[in-house]
Amino acid sequence: MDEDVLTTLKLLIIGESGVGKSSLLLRFTEDTFDPEQSATIGVDFKVKTVAIDGNRAKLAIWDTAGQERFRTLTPSYYRGAQGVILVYDVTKRDTFAKLDNWLNELETYTTRNDIVKMLVGNKIDQEDHEVDRNEGLKFARKHSMLFIEASAKTKDGVQCAFEELVEKILQTPGLWESEHQGQKVILGQQEQSQGGACGGYCSIP
Amino acid sequence: MADPHDAGHERDAASFGFGSDPLAGVVAVDMPDREESWIYKGVCHCGILGCGGAHPRGVEELIPGLWRSSSPGCGGAHPRAAEELIPGVWRSSSPGCGGAHPRGVEELILGAETEVFEITDFTTASEWERFVSKLEEVLNDWKLIGNLPRKPAPTKGEFTSGVWGEKSQDVSFADFKFSITHHYLEQEAEPETRTPQEDDVFPDALQDLLCTNNDFPPRAHCLVRWFGVRSFLVLAPGPNVEVISESKCNLLLSSVSIALQNSGCQVPVLVQVQQKWRRLYQGECQGPGVRTDFHMVHLHKVPAHHRNLSGLLDIFKSKMSSSLSPLPPINISIRFTYILQDWHQTSWPQQPPDFDAVFGGEVGGVEFGKVPFGACAEPISELHLAATWPHLTEGIIVDNDVYSELDPIQAPHWSVRIRTVDNAQCLLGDFLLEFFRLGQCSETLDDVLGRGLTEEEGKDADISSALQKLTQPSASVHMSKLSVSHMVHSARRHIRRRRYEESPLSHESLNAAVLFLFPDAATEKSSEQRCQTEPHPDPDSTQYLQLKASPPLSLTHRLALALAAVNHSQGGLRAVAHLWQEFVLELRYRWENNYLIHGLPSGAPDLRCCLLHQKLQMLNCCIQRKRSRDEAQSSAPRTSGSAPRTTSEGDTALWDSDSDDEFYECVSDLSESDRRRAEGGRPEGARPEGGSPSGGHRRPEGRLKQYQDLRLLQNNEPLYVPVTQEPSPMTEDMLEQQSEVLSKLGTSAEGAHLRARMQSACLLSDMEAFKAANPGCILEDFVRWYSPRDFVTESEDQAEDQAKDQARDQAEDQAEDRAEDRASGPQLRGQLSARMQIPGNMWLETWDTAKATPARRQRRLFDDTTEAEKVLHHLSLMKPSDLMLQLLPNLLLSALSKLTEEETVEDLPSVKKALAQASLQAGRLMHQQSLDLPLIEEFLLQLMTLETSITRARSLKTKFGVSRDSGEQREELLEFVNSLLEEPEVEVVGAGQGPAGHIIHQLFISSQRAALLSPVDSDVVSEADFRAPEQTVPDFPRPAGRELILRTCVPSPAPYSRSLPQRMFCVLLKDEVRLAAALSYDTAFF
Repeated sequence: MDEDVLTTLKLLIIGESGVGKSSLLLRFTEDTFDPEQSATIGVDFKVKTVAIDGNRAKLAIWDTAGQERFRTLTPSYYRGAQGVILVYDVTKRDTFAKLDNWLNELETYTTRNDIVKMLVGNKIDQEDHEVDRNEGLKFARKHSMLFIEASAKTKDGVQCAFEELVEKILQTPGLWESEHQGQKVILGQQEQSQGGACGGYCSIP
Repeated sequence: MADPHDAGHERDAASFGFGSDPLAGVVAVDMPDREESWIYKGVCHCGILGCGGAHPRGVEELIPGLWRSSSPGCGGAHPRAAEELIPGVWRSSSPGCGGAHPRGVEELILGAETEVFEITDFTTASEWERFVSKLEEVLNDWKLIGNLPRKPAPTKGEFTSGVWGEKSQDVSFADFKFSITHHYLEQEAEPETRTPQEDDVFPDALQDLLCTNNDFPPRAHCLVRWFGVRSFLVLAPGPNVEVISESKCNLLLSSVSIALQNSGCQVPVLVQVQQKWRRLYQGECQGPGVRTDFHMVHLHKVPAHHRNLSGLLDIFKSKMSSSLSPLPPINISIRFTYILQDWHQTSWPQQPPDFDAVFGGEVGGVEFGKVPFGACAEPISELHLAATWPHLTEGIIVDNDVYSELDPIQAPHWSVRIRTVDNAQCLLGDFLLEFFRLGQCSETLDDVLGRGLTEEEGKDADISSALQKLTQPSASVHMSKLSVSHMVHSARRHIRRRRYEESPLSHESLNAAVLFLFPDAATEKSSEQRCQTEPHPDPDSTQYLQLKASPPLSLTHRLALALAAVNHSQGGLRAVAHLWQEFVLELRYRWENNYLIHGLPSGAPDLRCCLLHQKLQMLNCCIQRKRSRDEAQSSAPRTSGSAPRTTSEGDTALWDSDSDDEFYECVSDLSESDRRRAEGGRPEGARPEGGSPSGGHRRPEGRLKQYQDLRLLQNNEPLYVPVTQEPSPMTEDMLEQQSEVLSKLGTSAEGAHLRARMQSACLLSDMEAFKAANPGCILEDFVRWYSPRDFVTESEDQAEDQAKDQARDQAEDQAEDRAEDRASGPQLRGQLSARMQIPGNMWLETWDTAKATPARRQRRLFDDTTEAEKVLHHLSLMKPSDLMLQLLPNLLLSALSKLTEEETVEDLPSVKKALAQASLQAGRLMHQQSLDLPLIEEFLLQLMTLETSITRARSLKTKFGVSRDSGEQREELLEFVNSLLEEPEVEVVGAGQGPAGHIIHQLFISSQRAALLSPVDSDVVSEADFRAPEQTVPDFPRPAGRELILRTCVPSPAPYSRSLPQRMFCVLLKDEVRLAAALSYDTAFF
């Protein structure tokens, strides 16, 4: 099955502890919801192959622990990621307030600057929203991210979030193509000046 | 095709019974009607029958066969017509083509000139006929037939500034390959102003013959230069083929003639004949009632009397077979080109080498820390001065074999071009390329340095390395400690020193290099402030991150420069290997003696930098850890009880000695763990750690600070953050390994569990430290610190199970009993979040196994000894080629900044632009997973061209005295020089009288004098002496090239013919003469 896979993408899920990162991932990869999802230690890893616009892409998704102390370890996994999903809990304002920190960390540790970022407000199935959808939208716009609200429990928006992210990555030139198709080096006018026409005093051999 | 439609037809098709062999049906039936064909298509498309031919493509391919069967012969001569007919047949479904396809009919008529329905036989067409028809076809395809929309006459200089287009196609004459190419100036068509009766207006090409706007274009196809045409076709033999024999030439010309006649094409066609290097073309152009022949003569020598204007005029006149006399005056344009090769007056301004420097005396020698720049030799080889007389009339000026009035100083137009040295050797480029070439050697260090070299003791012992002296600690401080290892180290170094006596790097340069890399080695070794002096790179410069290099001035960066420098100027590969070995030795020495490595940003390896830099940072981390450990160790006995350890002094000494012994060991020691267990670290989950059986509370250890104002749930003691082990620093290769291991565990539940377990070491360590710091704590306390969101306070969530743990309730009661102890903050009621309560989850499990152990007594999570050894091992095994790859980004960084710096001095917009592009490109190149060597080499060559451009600018500026002069002249000259660099040819304002012209004149004079006078006193001639020799030595050399264009309009061939444009271009070089004539004839009545 692997041979028709267009590319392998590395995705990353980050956010405060307990916002439902692992649950989102579980919902996406296995379409289940485990209310007894235990707190992630370090990083976890899942793979899923998706088809976007007829292209099959293999996703290697790294799920990280949100606890402060683990944060010293996880940035190492930011390396080489093409997409990142930043999750907050719509019922807990502090998880939203911490987003700036996460973005900073992302800036610091990612190796490429064209990484595609998606903001996901999770747990919209619950009643007591503390973060309004518009706030999320505003934040995402400010930081040029994709935005969606979702619920790992009810399935809302989960599939869509991942697919959207992958599609966006595939649309970003240079982000995922295999490395060998690097463009040729052309340094401006040097090339042009040596056109087909022969030089001026052209009878001099 | 709409789906329902399709489906319907499928059914129909099936019921019609096409199933067995639909194609047979097609051929036989010839598509009775449209509906039928539709069905057939439907069947094909869905392919239910699975027969091979049932593909629509199959049908198309069959059709030509169908056509041929009905009218054989057409296929050969007019394959195209045949092809175009096919769709007609298909669509009209009429077997004989009939009148259904007008185009097809036309072409049939054209081919045979017989009745439409007749079969025309082309099967006997000769190769020649086919060739001609092929030519016509090309002209047709390119829409060059008939009266083309009139284009405006080209404006002044448009041949150079405009865009030239090119179209090419291969044609063959039998198996002789030719290519036909259309060259044309891209122009907007003039708005339709022409009246219909002007039908017999001359073709564009004839107008061009007389147009003087674009004489001597600086850059154009040679035919443009010779014939002044703006649109023409060239029929040239293919590669490795030449048309030599005269009959073949004539055959080709005839073919062209016929094709032009048949198609009515008015664009000149030129055929390349004879050897290709001679660039000899013949051809013709046909217009309504006129024909122009293009001839060319190419000779080595012509008689002297034909080498001047009057002689050439004679030739031109005799060529024009006009019987009219007197002939109308002939318009003349002349251009003489003078070449200046000798730059005697100005020397190339490369800075002389610094003889005092370490590698003094060597041109281009490189000082450590700098990248060289500049050309080794004059980058500008020649200056061509073209003196032009654009409009002369016959008789105005005299130029014959005895006397010439053509003095360049008097010429109304001057223009200058420069010729640059191809592949000028440039220092920076060399520096980079030579370093890059290290990548091609596959040898290891040992291979390079030659293991076979004997290690016998040298003769005089006092060559003992200066380096060693440098790196020797100034005894006082650590001497007691490092004596042994240092001795060993020195001895080893000593031995090595012997070995390298004949090695490429001399002591001096080695010392210089090491001193450059480790400047702290010269100062006092043990000084503490040294480690604080980190490089301070430009804060706004993050370019090194884009290149994945390392910060400027960092050790890694300096290493790159030093290695490149020794590679460039001190012995190449062997020197690199030598210096690298010394470098690794020095690192080992530092590791063994706890000296931090100077010049690296502190902290964990920066994954954005190159791997080598990360490795060095890693080594520094190891040294740092080892050092602080050693310090703790040595200071412990003296300072009783270090900061985190508080309370009861009684048994401190015991504890300390105990802990010191134990610090490096893992806690597998049985008696030790037994003891601790006895002390009360009972692994009983959420049970309070306090209340130990040994009576009284366990003494807290390893406290860092109080955590906010939280208090332990059980005993209401303040909650302390423990001292924890720092996370292990990782380099990117370690990280890759780790993530590979983790991802290999798969995505199953077991895999995930195993993964979590593998990563729980840190959690366990933190839990143990926490337990040690907070006697009597429970998991809830830990969670409140570690993952606060996993502790749900009652007020928020009361519904959760109440009867959870009796022990905890009791503990809370107990805590309430001591309510008066509370200093601040209400005691929270709460519980673990649901996910923490899952029985057997990793957190609980880990908590249960965690023993109260302060961080300093735990097994080290990060084994600095092993890691340091790993790094050193890795470094010592690096091949020169690996080194190159690792350090190249740093070198590129330096090169780019050097180029930018030099560019800023000269201010060259085009170079600036190219540099900006190059920076981006470099970033892209360096971030690839595996470096693409050919691409990098190409990139380096591009950098070299940038360097060359800058040196050219510099050279020219010196020559034209831009740096000397000031004021408005300077501005003018500067502009002149800049355009010389960017444009193929630059007009000299004021010709010989302007400021630039004056300088050029002087340049020629001095070059002439240098060439023709005795060289003895040529450079001591004062201004006063200057006049005397001037009489004897001409200011200018003989022109290297003389170009003349002669033009007129005469009636030809008969006196009563129309007056038609005639032109002859002559170029006279030292040993080459070329005459290119375009002579027109009236064909109307002749």
